[in-house]
Amino acid sequence: MSETTQFRVMDFDCPSCASTVERALSNQDGVEDVEVHYSTGRVEIDYDDSVADPDTFEQTIENQGYSPQPA
Amino acid sequence: MDTQSIKQDYRKHRKAIIVAVSGLLYAGGWTLGYVSAFDTASAAILILAAIVGGYDIAKTAYHEVKSRTLGIKTLVTLAAVGAIAIGSYWEAAAVVFLFALGSYLEGRTMRKTRNALEELLEMTPDTATVRRDGEQKEVPAREVEDGEIVIVKPGEKIPVDGDVVDGESAVNQAPVTGESAPVHKADGDEVYAGTVNQEGALEVRTTGAGSDTTLQRIIQRVEEAQEAQSPTESLIDRFAKYYTPGVLALSIGAYAVTQNAILSLTLLVIGCPGALVIGPPVSIVSAIGNAARSGVLMKGGEHLERAGKIDLVAFDKTGTLTKGETTVADVAGFDAEASDVLELAAIAEKKSEHHLGDAILEAAQDRPAAVTDGGTEAVQADAESAPTEARSVPDPDDFDVVAGKGVIAHQGGREIVVGNRSLLDERDIEIPGEVAEYVREREERGETVVHIVRDGVVIGAIAMRDELREAAPGVVQELQDAGIETVMLTGDNGRVAAAVAEEVGIDDYRAELLPEDKQAVIEEFRDDGHVVAMVGDGINDAPSLATADVGIAMGAAGTDTAIETADMALMADDLERIPYAVKLSKATRWNIYENVGLAVLTVTLLLAGVLTSYVTLALGMLVHEASVLAVIGNGMRLLRY
Repeated sequence: MSETTQFRVMDFDCPSCASTVERALSNQDGVEDVEVHYSTGRVEIDYDDSVADPDTFEQTIENQGYSPQPA
Repeated sequence: MDTQSIKQDYRKHRKAIIVAVSGLLYAGGWTLGYVSAFDTASAAILILAAIVGGYDIAKTAYHEVKSRTLGIKTLVTLAAVGAIAIGSYWEAAAVVFLFALGSYLEGRTMRKTRNALEELLEMTPDTATVRRDGEQKEVPAREVEDGEIVIVKPGEKIPVDGDVVDGESAVNQAPVTGESAPVHKADGDEVYAGTVNQEGALEVRTTGAGSDTTLQRIIQRVEEAQEAQSPTESLIDRFAKYYTPGVLALSIGAYAVTQNAILSLTLLVIGCPGALVIGPPVSIVSAIGNAARSGVLMKGGEHLERAGKIDLVAFDKTGTLTKGETTVADVAGFDAEASDVLELAAIAEKKSEHHLGDAILEAAQDRPAAVTDGGTEAVQADAESAPTEARSVPDPDDFDVVAGKGVIAHQGGREIVVGNRSLLDERDIEIPGEVAEYVREREERGETVVHIVRDGVVIGAIAMRDELREAAPGVVQELQDAGIETVMLTGDNGRVAAAVAEEVGIDDYRAELLPEDKQAVIEEFRDDGHVVAMVGDGINDAPSLATADVGIAMGAAGTDTAIETADMALMADDLERIPYAVKLSKATRWNIYENVGLAVLTVTLLLAGVLTSYVTLALGMLVHEASVLAVIGNGMRLLRY
């Protein structure tokens, strides 16, 4: 089933940082659609919950050097 | 302090700690560098400073490269590694430290911009007191079901959207409408989640809770607006896609020609498009956040940029410049009793649902049996002297509305026509001279007059008045002072329009417009090269709001359609927000230009400086980071506009 989850990343320091995070998340298995907004810090991920593991999303964002908060 | 909380604190302040440590190492290494005996130690400390400050940057750069994006962090990492490779340790440490410090400050200030909405989010209380099974119970606010009764004590925030079913109070609706003067609420009135109950206890029947409240919808809309790209932003984004690889190519080319590694590394650093890409979003997010706190919803960067070019504001007259509370000012009977005239008009208008009809019906119901005088001697309609009992008005047998002109009805074998001159002309009804005289006199006072015709004979006229909003003349003046042309659009005839236009001090007016004409007039203004804003109520005026470059809907808090169609929605029914909204848009447009200009100027000067060897790697980074912070700071001014 398709699910949606949101995070908030308040410490993006440039617009291209947001696109890097967007790309990293889209490359994960089972992720269908990702929107990362630099201006509001909102991260929205649509994923297939039979494939993707939502717990890894937070880790992925942290790996890019940012601190996500669940929203 | 246990290890757990130390760890937590470290995570929270990680970026600040890294910047501080890297800065201290950098300062230490630099100082040691002055003593020739400690050269090796100095180099080691400077490399350590670069590693501490650069670890996170390099990590992100690694991910950037892995996901095939070329970002600023990749450029900085390349520059730092390159500087170490050629033995410029001081340069490497300086670049890393300055970049880390800059990013930290950028992140902090951007967070402030992003948090402009947080105040709104915090408005809604987490719990609500509901009446369930005859008992009062405290439950999470989002779990309140529609139709449940919520009890709100004085001083509490209202947790849900709903209708008052019991109690009476003054409510501060600032979080939703931006208007801090309390609004009186009693039985049947609508209240919004997040607003503050100030005086008495209220019982509210829930119509929306959790994410289904007006405040939540506002917040969601504001976020969408902030995320939508403005034309300038998309332009810059497209540009940046080619720009960054271009900088890399330039740097490689420079090395190939000059064999000067430092020069090409410096080019890498100063060429980062930082200030350019950050500027427009910061300006727009700040402006939209500021507007939302003042009760003005802006639909997005695109609309905001367009609103910055407005040079003509068209106002709908009724309900926008006027209060929209039409009352009967005068009834005149000609060879008929004034009370009969009013009675007949009321019968015809009973089902018309037109605002003039409502005023007539109200006057007829409030009126005692008869206080009448024939001829031109008029009777003042005075609500104070109304009888205690409302009189009942009989239903018409049938009635027909002629849009923009009037009503034709039949009742008890009589034909009653209530309408303006054009309806009477259309039906070949002769208007006696004394009636025409009376009508002209009232119209010159800005009153709207309808003729009452019984079986083809004019027996009277009713003059109605819609008071001007107190703020209207000031608002028009303020717009004119800002160099904006003002025009009033109305369905009333020219005489009434002229009188009202003079009272408001508006530049121009267009009268006798049917709803579709208003749209055509807006079109005409646009064809003349104006950037037009149309101010209306959002429902009747929806087509002209949509046609205008910027549609501004007033009093939108309760009406989702208005919020949907308008480019800007004023949550409160408050005309005075219009100059603010227009000026904020103009300030935002300038702010974006300033930011783009500053960014381009900085890069150009730095480029020239590097090519003429005036600018070193560290100085380039310092100026680059300073320009990014300056752009953010400039954008944030709009938060306090």
